[in-house]
Amino acid sequence: MLEQLLIFTRGGLILWTCKELGNALKGSPIDTLIRSCLLEERSGLASFNYDAAGAGYTLKWTFHNELGLVFVAVYQRILHLLYVDDLLAMVKREFAEVYDPKRVEYSDFDETFRQLRKEAEARAEEMKKAKQVNNKPVNDGRKQGQGKKVGGFEGGNKNKSEANGDADDNGKNRKLENGHSNGNHHVVVEGSRGTVVTNGKENESSNTGAFDVSKLQKRRGKGTKKTDTVVSKGSKEDPKKKITKKNRVWDDSPAAPKLDFTDPVEENGNENVEVVAADQGESMMDKEEIVSSDSESEEDEEGKDAKPDTKKKGWFSSMFQSIAGKANLEKADLEPALKALKDRLMTKNVAEEIAEKLCESVAASLVGKKQASFTRIFSTVQAAMEEALVRILTPRRSIDILRDVHAAKEQRKPYVVVFVGVNGVGKSTNLAKVAYWLLQHNVSVMMAACDTFRSGAVEQLRTHARRLQIPIFEKGYEKDPAVVAKEAIQEATRNGTDVVLVDTAGRMQDNEPLMRALSKLIYLNNPDLVLFVGEALVGNDAVDQLSKFNQKLADLSTSPNPRLIDGILLTKFDTIDDKVGAALSMVYISGSPVMFVGCGQSYTDLKKLNVKSIVKTLLK
Amino acid sequence: MQMEGFEQWKEEARQWVQQGIEYALQIPPPQLYAAAAVLVLTTLLLLFIRLFKRSKSNTVVLTGLGGSGKTVLFYRLRDGPSHQGTVTSMGPNEGTFILHYESTKKGKIRPAHIVDVPGHSRLRTKLDDFLPQAACIVFVVDALEFLPNLSAVAEYLYDILTKASVVKKKVPLLICCNKTDKVTAHTMEFIRKQLEKEIEKLRASRSGMSEADIANDFTLGIPGEAFAFTHCINKVTIAEASGLTGEISQVEQFIREHVKP
Repeated sequence: MLEQLLIFTRGGLILWTCKELGNALKGSPIDTLIRSCLLEERSGLASFNYDAAGAGYTLKWTFHNELGLVFVAVYQRILHLLYVDDLLAMVKREFAEVYDPKRVEYSDFDETFRQLRKEAEARAEEMKKAKQVNNKPVNDGRKQGQGKKVGGFEGGNKNKSEANGDADDNGKNRKLENGHSNGNHHVVVEGSRGTVVTNGKENESSNTGAFDVSKLQKRRGKGTKKTDTVVSKGSKEDPKKKITKKNRVWDDSPAAPKLDFTDPVEENGNENVEVVAADQGESMMDKEEIVSSDSESEEDEEGKDAKPDTKKKGWFSSMFQSIAGKANLEKADLEPALKALKDRLMTKNVAEEIAEKLCESVAASLVGKKQASFTRIFSTVQAAMEEALVRILTPRRSIDILRDVHAAKEQRKPYVVVFVGVNGVGKSTNLAKVAYWLLQHNVSVMMAACDTFRSGAVEQLRTHARRLQIPIFEKGYEKDPAVVAKEAIQEATRNGTDVVLVDTAGRMQDNEPLMRALSKLIYLNNPDLVLFVGEALVGNDAVDQLSKFNQKLADLSTSPNPRLIDGILLTKFDTIDDKVGAALSMVYISGSPVMFVGCGQSYTDLKKLNVKSIVKTLLK
Repeated sequence: MQMEGFEQWKEEARQWVQQGIEYALQIPPPQLYAAAAVLVLTTLLLLFIRLFKRSKSNTVVLTGLGGSGKTVLFYRLRDGPSHQGTVTSMGPNEGTFILHYESTKKGKIRPAHIVDVPGHSRLRTKLDDFLPQAACIVFVVDALEFLPNLSAVAEYLYDILTKASVVKKKVPLLICCNKTDKVTAHTMEFIRKQLEKEIEKLRASRSGMSEADIANDFTLGIPGEAFAFTHCINKVTIAEASGLTGEISQVEQFIREHVKP
């Protein structure tokens, strides 16, 4: 059952909740949703899972950007409620009509909601039934089809009328069912839905007229063309395939003319049918994917051709539009601007996945909004993106290490920082830089050489220690790094050292034994700060590195609430010119801030991340 | 194609201009002068109104950490006791209105422009948009969950108190200890002392930062002395309130002190 449905403004005022549902939610799923999903530019996702003690909720949401409203539905995770998306859309539509910014109470909406909910539930029920009914005739049809294999097509007519009779009983599902029973006749292949649906359309015409085999054969090709449309219809009705439906809504409009384009390719169509028939069931999806990818490439070509045309036509109208302001932004309007922006982000070395997600989230925040006068769509989108980027890069937690150090000092404990990362990113070098920076602020520092793996690592650290004149704790090689770190911290506590900087061996994110060792080190010593050292040079791999490090630290940890990465140290920042995307990728994927930026070879080359300049560079 | 269209358009425009000039020439000069004078006067008047208005800002900024009760306070000030609860804000609430408790009063009251800036740290950059116009700031503190958030509260307060737009214009600030209806809430005095202590620590660590770091424009307090709110250049006061039960008279008073009716 639906647990709760809320309507609130972006400002945070709850306008309406369903009182009938009134179940007290465990924990605070809504606030968690807002904080960890909507405000983190992840609103492009389909749903959000919330775990509280004794309850797992799934939350779905939708925005009304023009009015600044948010609609959230909460339900138990174990129930797969199919009508929630529908219900949210309906509630959004209805509520937008009664909404008035001055009003804060909408008790009269209860009645409307009750109706909407009934409607949605009924529809879901129907869909469920339809699915069951659909499945049954397939079997029947198969039997019939097999029976008639010998009898040939003559019996087809009779059968068809029978099938029609059945179908009428079943009301709504007539069309589909027709398709099923009939399809099994003409195309002797059994029960594959792809082909079945293909022929669905022919039935209507052949119902009245005589059954013409040759015509049918001809039509078979045509029928296949129709598959695209029919398939898409089918998937709309089929709640299980909601996700794919969503994806497609996107390129729905451009894809439509494309379907006509397939006209000359009849042979291909035929081939497709056979393939589908052989595969059965699932193949519908596969095929659709193929078609859509085809259409995409074609679309690109088309787009190139069409561009000059639209430009010619659109010059005055776009000018006019920019002056007058457009009524409501639609997804299609945003598409070109978002694509350009995504490409731009990717040229700045932002991981593709992240650029994509960001664009989706920005689109979600703009669709339905009124475009201001004297602006172009591109600048609107860019402004929204800039805001989103600033929001992401602004640290969520305090990055004032010195204050934390002072706080630890008061408790007479050393402040422990662990440097982790893949091989060769500059952990030791930047550890020395951090040590130098801390020394400048009159904090006593100790290094712990816990890289007991790579030869020369301890010597390297010793050299740094000598130059900076700070103590180093080392136990040579082949020791358990976790133990070395532990002893180092004990030593620091004895000496009253303020900060312990722990150097670890570089490890690839997929190396399970080494990751386990790292997890142990962190669990055993419970450091105050786990600093991930990452190269600014990295592109798509940034996502993989950070997510796997976090994942492994969480999975391999023995404690119930594992420590994850608290902050990021971005190295080699001086080598990348304007390709600063790694900073964005890393922050987005881990949710932790960039605490330091290493930008050179000398000890002084350590900076704080300048959010504004990064955003500026990213959008330049 | 495009160029042709443009040419055509230009031609038409030229004709219109021509017609316009001809028409203007037919009007007797005194009328023209009169029209010009009216135009200039109106523009000047509008400009004056703009300047006059700006000199007396009526913007009140509600700020503080997330979950401290800013949105509740905002709607309490606006509508009195009528709403069904709030969730974490994703955007600022803004409104120009006559405070609810004054709505029964007779006479002309100047409405206050109240802005509730979200407390979530990712949205704090929004604060910079509103601070330059602020007539006064209400900094809301959760008196119930005060100690766990102490350092975050102090840091945010420190940031606001050292902002150039606040210091230069000496914008008065009220530390509003919210949720005092609860039994376990901390007292005003305790909160003030803890905040002063924490800011003192911040002062030490912040002044130690290098110049390249996030530079705060001004330093707080008097060097060599323990920090106290009385050392601030702008006036900092502290008050108790409860947004949920509606005991917000001190906040209302503060707002009315700085946004004259």
